[in-house]
Amino acid sequence: MTPDFTGTHLWDRLCWAKENLEPHQSDYRVVYEDSIDECAKILVADPNWMACAMAGGILPPVWVYWELAKDEAQPDFKRHTRGYLLHETPPVGPMTEEEAIEYLIQKDVPQHVWQNWDEGNRPKMVICKKEQLPQTRVWRNAWRISDEIKVAA
Amino acid sequence: MAGTIVADTLTHSTAGSLTTDYVVNGSAKAWIAFNGTGTIATRNSFGVTSISDNSTGNYTVNFSNSFSAADYAQQTSGDAAASAHFGTASITETYTTSATRGRFFDAAGSGVDTAFANVTTHGDLA
Repeated sequence: MTPDFTGTHLWDRLCWAKENLEPHQSDYRVVYEDSIDECAKILVADPNWMACAMAGGILPPVWVYWELAKDEAQPDFKRHTRGYLLHETPPVGPMTEEEAIEYLIQKDVPQHVWQNWDEGNRPKMVICKKEQLPQTRVWRNAWRISDEIKVAA
Repeated sequence: MAGTIVADTLTHSTAGSLTTDYVVNGSAKAWIAFNGTGTIATRNSFGVTSISDNSTGNYTVNFSNSFSAADYAQQTSGDAAASAHFGTASITETYTTSATRGRFFDAAGSGVDTAFANVTTHGDLA
């Protein structure tokens, strides 16, 4: 069981998790396109991070990362001054594997992709299982999300 | 937290002392060893939320704990194949406080998928 990490530096929480949690390899993959000039990208959850997400009480809420990203996007940004948000904001509770993937999308996929993922002629993002990806990388730089993908209602 | 030792200095019986700042600053804040071929997968890691397979030999590592600024030091290395052990040239293409993007090249300068890719990052955390 995760100790009460309220107010504990995120680094210390991650160190505890590395020592005490079994990594979890997820079969989920997130395929997304963030530029019409580039091929599709594949996001893969880190197994140690996934263990933290599923255990709960370790990771900060995802909005903390959005706040830091907003700061970094300022033209006069030099260094973070609100890093305390990572360490002092109460950690989120346990997530299912699917909830963890949703969190990860909101943290590591560009916002312009996941906020408008189903607008336009075809989806810009798809969650799939790794077995559904092409089995050869010969044409890796030509990978695209299929035009035939139908968005589930 | 149970088992915590708070110390500003470590002293050896004969070899002298150092402040624990050196230990903290000298520790890698994030590192990952991953297979960048097939459906890419992490072998082992610390401080990483995810990796992205951007294209051939082109990967992004996303950090759990943001760095204070995009001025951290990063090392990338990789072997293209376990049996051949021919080296790959590697570069860090972009730095942000929350992620870094690296590329691997073969001897001809073309992007190459890397079976044993390693990224280690030192710096100040936010």
